[in-house]
Amino acid sequence: MIKFTLNGKTIETDAPATVRLLDFIREEQLLIGTKEGCGEGECGACSVFVNNLLQNSCLIPIGSIEGADVVTIEGIMESEQFKNLDESYSHAGGVQCGYCIPGMVMASAALLSQNPHPSEAEIREGISGNLCRCTGYNMIVDAINLAAKKGDGLWQKK
Amino acid sequence: MNLKDISTSVPRKDHKGKVSGQLPYISDVKVENMVYGVLFRSPIAYGKIKSIQLPDLPEGYEAVGAEHIPGPNYVKIIKEDQPIFANEWVNYIGEPILMLVGENLDVLYRLLDEVKIEFEEHQAIYTLEEAIKQKSAPGVNMANYEFGESLDTITSIELKAHQIIEEEYDTGYQEHVYLEPQGMLAIYKEDEIVVQGSMQCLYYIKNALVNALDCGDDDVRVVQSPTGGGFGGKEEFPSMMACHVAVAAKAVKKSVMLVFDRSEDMVVTTKRHPAKLKYRTAIDREGNILSMCIEIFLDGGANVGLSSVVLQRALLNSAGVYKIPHFHAKGYVLKTNTVPNGAFRGFGAPQSFAGIESHIGHLSKLANNDPLEYKRKYLVKQGDPTITKGNFRDPILMEDMIEVLLKSSNYKKKKQKYHQLNQQNQRYKKGIGTSLFLHGCGFTGSGERDHIKAKVKLAKSKDDQVSLKISNSDMGQGILTTLSKIVAKELDLPLENVLYPYPDTKEVPDSGPTVASRTTMIVGKLLERAAKKLKAQWQTGVEQEVTEDYVHREMIPWNEKTFTGDAYPAYSWGVNIVEVEVDTLTGNIKLEKVFANYEVGKVIDDRVMKGQIDGGLAQGLAYGYLEKMTSKEGKIQQKSITDYGPPTSLDVVSIQSKVFDNPYADGPYGAKGAGELTLIGGAPAVQAAIEDALQIPFQQIPITPEVIIESLYVREGEQG
Amino acid sequence: MAEKIIAYRFDCLDQTLSQLNKENCAIIAGGTDVMVMYKSRRGVPPKIPKPIVFIDHLSELKKVYQNQKDLHIGACCTYSELLGNPLIPIVLKKAIKTIAAPAIRNRGTLGGNVCNASPAGDTLPLLYVYNAKLLLRSVKGDRIVPISDFIQGVRRIQRESNEILVEIILPSVLDDGAHVIFEKVGNRNADAIAKVGFAGYIRLNGDGIEDVRFAFGAVGPTMIRSVAIEKMLLGRTVPLTDSDIAQVVAAFDKIIKPIDDQRSTALYRKTVALNLLRYFLSMKQYQPT
Ligand SMILES: Cc1cc2nc3c(=O)[nH]c(=O)nc-3n(C[C@H](O)[C@H](O)[C@H](O)COP(=O)(O)OP(=O)(O)OC[C@H]3O[C@@H](n4cnc5c(N)ncnc54)[C@H](O)[C@@H]3O)c2cc1C
Ligand code: FES
Ligand code: FES
Repeated sequence: MIKFTLNGKTIETDAPATVRLLDFIREEQLLIGTKEGCGEGECGACSVFVNNLLQNSCLIPIGSIEGADVVTIEGIMESEQFKNLDESYSHAGGVQCGYCIPGMVMASAALLSQNPHPSEAEIREGISGNLCRCTGYNMIVDAINLAAKKGDGLWQKK
Repeated sequence: MNLKDISTSVPRKDHKGKVSGQLPYISDVKVENMVYGVLFRSPIAYGKIKSIQLPDLPEGYEAVGAEHIPGPNYVKIIKEDQPIFANEWVNYIGEPILMLVGENLDVLYRLLDEVKIEFEEHQAIYTLEEAIKQKSAPGVNMANYEFGESLDTITSIELKAHQIIEEEYDTGYQEHVYLEPQGMLAIYKEDEIVVQGSMQCLYYIKNALVNALDCGDDDVRVVQSPTGGGFGGKEEFPSMMACHVAVAAKAVKKSVMLVFDRSEDMVVTTKRHPAKLKYRTAIDREGNILSMCIEIFLDGGANVGLSSVVLQRALLNSAGVYKIPHFHAKGYVLKTNTVPNGAFRGFGAPQSFAGIESHIGHLSKLANNDPLEYKRKYLVKQGDPTITKGNFRDPILMEDMIEVLLKSSNYKKKKQKYHQLNQQNQRYKKGIGTSLFLHGCGFTGSGERDHIKAKVKLAKSKDDQVSLKISNSDMGQGILTTLSKIVAKELDLPLENVLYPYPDTKEVPDSGPTVASRTTMIVGKLLERAAKKLKAQWQTGVEQEVTEDYVHREMIPWNEKTFTGDAYPAYSWGVNIVEVEVDTLTGNIKLEKVFANYEVGKVIDDRVMKGQIDGGLAQGLAYGYLEKMTSKEGKIQQKSITDYGPPTSLDVVSIQSKVFDNPYADGPYGAKGAGELTLIGGAPAVQAAIEDALQIPFQQIPITPEVIIESLYVREGEQG
Repeated sequence: MAEKIIAYRFDCLDQTLSQLNKENCAIIAGGTDVMVMYKSRRGVPPKIPKPIVFIDHLSELKKVYQNQKDLHIGACCTYSELLGNPLIPIVLKKAIKTIAAPAIRNRGTLGGNVCNASPAGDTLPLLYVYNAKLLLRSVKGDRIVPISDFIQGVRRIQRESNEILVEIILPSVLDDGAHVIFEKVGNRNADAIAKVGFAGYIRLNGDGIEDVRFAFGAVGPTMIRSVAIEKMLLGRTVPLTDSDIAQVVAAFDKIIKPIDDQRSTALYRKTVALNLLRYFLSMKQYQPT
């Protein structure tokens, strides 16, 4: 039996320990915001937070997250921080096909919570594991920059 | 909607669902009674299937193959050479032979391993080089065209010329790496099969299904799912997947889902054609061009698919943006026993532009001229003939665009400065380079009139909402927003009152595929006209419908046989300037600055346009130096994203771009095509910048660090 | 048809060790190598052929501390944890920053990089020039092995099946005054696997070379290091003469034998490895890092 929290909800499961967190989220919990782009840690579409840290859920066997706090995009969707990112992405034009975007938003949130006023280089570094094939990244970088500016105070370290 | 200028950006209509991840892509969909399909693929490059031995299939698991196809066993594209399930010959590693379907993927993968197929292997052709050598062997030449000045005339010019310059130029594969892997679902119903998935061309798929299922028009329906990137990779390829799932669904009477793993996607789906381009140019004493002959060879892969059309575009762009005296070109698509190549943003043009920009750049050296100055001497002007005896009838703003870019990039000063710096810095060398390019908008020649015959519909509901009924896909490029915006502005409706549901062939007429930079210009124009018509007959609170059909503007008629006439109704234009720094110890290239000017008639939405510029350029630049895919004995070597190497956020830099207005009469608000154009100038500008930094000419893209180190090594050897 | 998966996750190291003593298990730390190595196709869990033991939560494996001048790094420290730790040498941090991208660095561990023993492991060239020692523990006790003995080939290590790597020890690193550099050559600027890695280490006494070490990654089955070649330079003064440099480069030219693969060519790897070496040797001055 493996026990952890997912978006604040306690999960107890007897799924095999090797099941990928990604599959658990998508297939068992039917949360579709976490996407699969590569299944080997190379694209970031499956990004989630584990204990507040950005991680690739395709590389996590659920047996290893006993007791952990897991948050997917659905878990932050109602937050002020998400709203800030949502508006900034819209304003800066950071979204095209959208497949990378939930992962990108998770990476953006992870970055801003650690570093509320990142430089351009720090932003690029922060999303460097999130592949986007449509945008060439620049408008996403602009979006994060804007979120940092408009979200003054929101992203202060807790 | 009351925008003073159509270009003013509006929020994307699909933003909410995408930013929250709640918009379901095909792999997010589950339907009742759904099973998965997995494909057994040929492990050999060329041979005959002798026998197929299936493992014992547990209950609920079935095998589906050629014998289950109600219609003929080929994917309807252009020629009938692509089997749905190969059952006699296999022509490449990865070619689908049969599908296993069942509920559990784990079980399916295990069963796949137990399928045993005996082959009689035959000698395969693995490389374009080999195919060129065997060009006249039966079946190798899949398509060819030739046009231009007579060879007799050219020979007599060459005889009198000061020098004949011959160059050979090679371009590599490019993989789309749309972030959403290919996926297709066939929903089984008693009286119809609904095929839903990630796609660009609904009616291509529909036609392929009607053919494969040998059924009536109403027995199949194709619905686009939100599509996570296409770039041409979801142009013709999904037709095959659609046939797979539909045939399987019919056979097992269940809904069948087929979604690729990334590595499967990288290995078996279509790619940009590797090409060889040969240039033979006669010049006079001053380095002026007297004549030019070009030969283009495209590696078609195992079946022709759309390759002949790709070759046409490659040839039509073979002279770049230049008016070359006495020009002659011919080209071939050759068969190799490798994964079939197909559509990719630019569609043959990127290869040609890389080649011609490189060649003209090298000629400029012989003329002792700055490459850009030399290129400007030959730049086409309004009224000039095209290489196919068509006409550049609209104004061309290239001179202005170049001037503005030279100023904003400070090109001349920088070029000098870098040459000085490079004297001092042994390790790092800086360079700056340019590219000039165009893109013919829409289908080649009379394609729109003869093949596509686009039709659009606008449907107004009682509550005065207007729906776009067209078969075009938003795959990220933004037409959901831009096309809605055209209609909203025309009808003076709020954008929310204009709807553009994901298209379903049951609901929408065939407005053509979402390809060839045609959607905004052609479909957008039809929508604009339809909206005008609707406005004229608008009755509040009443359901109304209007349709519009494509009208061909007759110019110089296109003749595919002689390859003459106006190949395109209009052209979009671009200039790029790129700065790089090359590490001579490692050959690594750092992009430093990118400047880009474009002319696309009229921008329909500034933000969407910038997205096309930044995304297209990232792909185009990477095509020139970063992304490398190779095939060895018929096997793709780079099976993961990392091994292939598309750019990350740390590999691109911000791009200073500007778009010039030059409204085109037959485009909505003057708009022409923009989606492919932005990719084309990237690679040649990167090459020019690298050459400027190292003062070494290159004859290929991508110019990887491996290529650079080898060239430096050779140069060192030459200098002793 | 789901098979039974056996997996352990104990609260402390001792229990983990005693289980390992009973049963040959697959150890998973961050899992960033294991999950890829045993990956199945889409939708199916990886197929790991042994019972699994998770160790990345064990606090005994997450300590970083100084013991005299030696630095002890817990095997299960993630890269992100090390980046945030002031004891970790700057150049090692620089190497860590070249690894993958933030999400992987939040999971991948230093111990995993060592035990995975990939020729492209990015911390390995530096660990080799630091003369890293590995502390291995089993129910039978501890043993300490130099990293160059522990790693024997591509994914081959000298670990008994009942042992866990507990610490990576960098002897004397905290007060050493050496100039140390690291260069990674990959196909792009993030999420890249090394095509060539190079670490150089030089310690001077005045102008004279007191100690010098080089390690090359991704150009052979393991890191390439040669104490014999290094010795040729002891006592020489910097800047080195052209002939000294040429001699060292020629000596490495003989022993570096890379391969062609999907990422690069043998010629490239060798040329670049030697270029980086030559560049390091040609520096006019060296400052303690
Ligand atoms: C997308 C991606 C990018 C990557 N990029 C890089 C890169 O740029 N550079 C690089 O060097 N690596 C890279 N890696 C590889 C990997 O992240 C590193 O090697 C990482 O350090 C492995 O650590 P881990 O804890 O995840 O190892 P695991 O996968 O948990 O383990 C790796 C191996 O070590 C064994 N092991 C782990 N810890 C111990 C221990 N304490 N005692 C005994 N045995 C142990 C395991 O049994 C296994 O055999 C990348 C991986 C991915 C998925
Ligand atoms: S799906 Fe996990 S990183 Fe790509
Ligand atoms: S928006 Fe398409 S991959 Fe990022």
